[in-house]
Amino acid sequence: MRDQHICLDEQLLLFMDQLEALEEKRHKLNSLIEEGWFSIAKARYSMGNKQVSSLQYASEMEPLVHVEDSLMESGTVEFKCNRAENKTDELTKNNLIEDIGVKEGGLRRRINTKQKENKEEDASEQQETDHQGKTKTESPTPENRDPLKWFGILVPQNLKQAQVAFREVITLSAEIASIQSAILATRKEMQAQMKEKQEKTGKTKPEITKE
Amino acid sequence: MPGRGKLIAVIGDEDTCTGFLLGGIGELNKNRKPNFLVVEKDTSITEIEETFKSFLARNDIGIILINQFIAEMIRHAIDAHMESIPAVLEIPSKEHPYDASKDSILRRAKGMFCAEDFR
Repeated sequence: MRDQHICLDEQLLLFMDQLEALEEKRHKLNSLIEEGWFSIAKARYSMGNKQVSSLQYASEMEPLVHVEDSLMESGTVEFKCNRAENKTDELTKNNLIEDIGVKEGGLRRRINTKQKENKEEDASEQQETDHQGKTKTESPTPENRDPLKWFGILVPQNLKQAQVAFREVITLSAEIASIQSAILATRKEMQAQMKEKQEKTGKTKPEITKE
Repeated sequence: MPGRGKLIAVIGDEDTCTGFLLGGIGELNKNRKPNFLVVEKDTSITEIEETFKSFLARNDIGIILINQFIAEMIRHAIDAHMESIPAVLEIPSKEHPYDASKDSILRRAKGMFCAEDFR
């Protein structure tokens, strides 16, 4: 019984620590978001109302950030942000592999008409010359997919500052999501232990009254 | 067991969506539906709720970010979501600061204590 009380107290302290951590991260998230809005407003003031709006969104977008979720044994889910900048090495490796594949495909397509063959020979020659120095430009790199480019080639510093702020917000969001999941798991565990404690005290009370 | 990379979805006003898209979370191509919704004055609650439910149904979304004032409009749908993935995170908007007493997660955590538990 005493062990159960100690366990319950430890769970309660853990719960309070988690709430405190959540409160701290929330405060930081909220202030970063406000900083981001302020920077966007300043950029809009210098560029014009319609230049910084949903009208400027690209018609095709590729995400530069992904979230990895891993389910732990305790039932909590941990979220971790991964940016595309960390994967540039993998991209260049993939580009090399794809280039080799395309070359072989060019050779295979020579069954078609002579005109196509000539075009393909030219294309494969171009690929051979381009292969050495230009692998990065053949497929979109994170630099080419930068959302800042939707708003123009030369964007004000304020818009870049907004981007930096929101990138931090995204990383913090993943951390807050992990803490929220931990809080709910701790709550569930505590409720189970409280219920167990109440059942035990309910059983021991009749014994006390008999004595 | 770690999962593959998932997306972050956002349901918010124009500035909120612009900010997060600048951060690089946006996905939009011919084959797939976007992972964001810009809520304007004329956006209906039905549309917001349908978008939220569509995000919940997708298995490639890990976190849903939503302005708290929009979350209030579809509170019943958010409270009904009990799974841990995707995680729903309420964020402030320019005109409505964050209110912890309205947050679904904190309301669930707050409601667990009563006087009898401390006897």
